[in-house]
Amino acid sequence: MSPTKILFFATLRDRAATRALEMELPPGTTIAQLKSLLIQQRPALAGLLEHCLASINHEYRFDEDPIPPAAEVAFFPPVSGG
Amino acid sequence: MKTITSITQDEIDLNTLLQAITDDGTGAAAIFTGMVRGITERGDPHQTTYLEYEAYQPMAEAKMRQVAQEIRARWETVQGIVIVQRIGRLYPRTPTILIACTAAHRDTGVFEAARYGIDRLKEIVPVWKKEIKPDGEEWVEGEYHPTPGE
Repeated sequence: MSPTKILFFATLRDRAATRALEMELPPGTTIAQLKSLLIQQRPALAGLLEHCLASINHEYRFDEDPIPPAAEVAFFPPVSGG
Repeated sequence: MKTITSITQDEIDLNTLLQAITDDGTGAAAIFTGMVRGITERGDPHQTTYLEYEAYQPMAEAKMRQVAQEIRARWETVQGIVIVQRIGRLYPRTPTILIACTAAHRDTGVFEAARYGIDRLKEIVPVWKKEIKPDGEEWVEGEYHPTPGE
């Protein structure tokens, strides 16, 4: 099985206390299920991770979306560039 | 004509970028640049020492290309497009973003196209800034939540 790469940005990175990590996920794991797993591992993410934005392979994705094998998943707050 | 999109640590060179999206048929360029504001009076008045920008670079570049495609789909008269976001530590009076659209004439939508570009960038391009003030620091967060397909 290929690990999933998980990235955090801005406030999410501060709370996660890491920029990136890798996890082995069962096939069909959704964004919502991954959020729950991450909150179990890193309780500091609770309250923030549930409502942040998510992407899979550089496209916006949502709680019900399944994560394909070897994906790059990112979690971050609403953007503030410009 | 050309579309240039990039995330850079370097100073934004307006003249070079403008040259790249101009040809003999160009008569108008609408240029927007955002700046680091050192003194904010509107809303909650405060001072900003500097801003620290970061990007999710591969996704940010993909979403900048998407913004350019959306501009082209809406304004067929637009010739060239530049969207450049500078990241890193940026001090007041520094340009942080450049959006430029060129066209044959000024009255065919270039102003609106550039305006759309900056507004859309602030919705979907994954870049964030941390504001460092004399008395502390905090992440600036946007408000927009993209919907499926964005």
